Amino acid sequence: MKTAIRRQMTINPEVMDVLNQQIELEMHASASYLAMASWCDQRELVNSKAFFYKQAEEEREHGMKIFNFINDAGGAAISPAIPTVNNEFESLRAIYETSLDQEIHVTQSIYKCFSKARSTNDYASEVFLQWFVNEQVEEEDTVRSIIDVFDLMGDMPLKMIDERLPTE
Amino acid sequence: MNIFRDIQFSIQLQKVTFCQYQLTIDDKLMFLTFPQLLQLRHKINNYTAPENLERIIDNENFVLLSVADRQHLVFLEIPKLLDLKEEIELCFYSY
Repeated sequence: MKTAIRRQMTINPEVMDVLNQQIELEMHASASYLAMASWCDQRELVNSKAFFYKQAEEEREHGMKIFNFINDAGGAAISPAIPTVNNEFESLRAIYETSLDQEIHVTQSIYKCFSKARSTNDYASEVFLQWFVNEQVEEEDTVRSIIDVFDLMGDMPLKMIDERLPTE
Repeated sequence: MNIFRDIQFSIQLQKVTFCQYQLTIDDKLMFLTFPQLLQLRHKINNYTAPENLERIIDNENFVLLSVADRQHLVFLEIPKLLDLKEEIELCFYSY
């Protein structure tokens, strides 16, 4: 059986397992962003709702990117189960802070996948994951900048803060 | 010289052709394609995760496992379940 599995799949089985966990995380993040978008939508926070709907879509795209990669590399992508998503938030600022924590969690998980790919000499997966490493730097930076706006605007009404949030 | 050549193990996973694998559990013989083997690996890894294993031991103490796209149903007690996990891991270890 020495080369049997390698002939069937390019991806290392251990990397495949961590990437399947990553899909679950990305899809959970997407569902979580959807809950945040809904909270903002109900309160007519136009910029924030657009931001979170876009984030939800992006996270799903990330999940699908990994999903396709696993199958293309001969592995088996697993459709994830989404655990309970929190739909209750105390404030808009709390939502953005939760979103930053979520992004940091996703980044840590990407690093875990990356180091697994490196330690198993799975170069194709390592190169594939490089895009995600860069993407996470951008994602974290975007949310941090928004939280900075909250710090600058202090106690101004929620709608006024929302109007000043970057839309792109 | 392969000293294991003539020994018949109760759980055995062998490659038959390029994309066909043969799984033997006691007297039951099953043929699996590679995607079916990956599916089996995923299931076994799930069942043998510490928290799930603990739950199985606390309750029914066995698992009923459908294999090869539900063509076969296998009854596995905990030691057999762990043996199967080891056999599959061994097969993937040679990656």
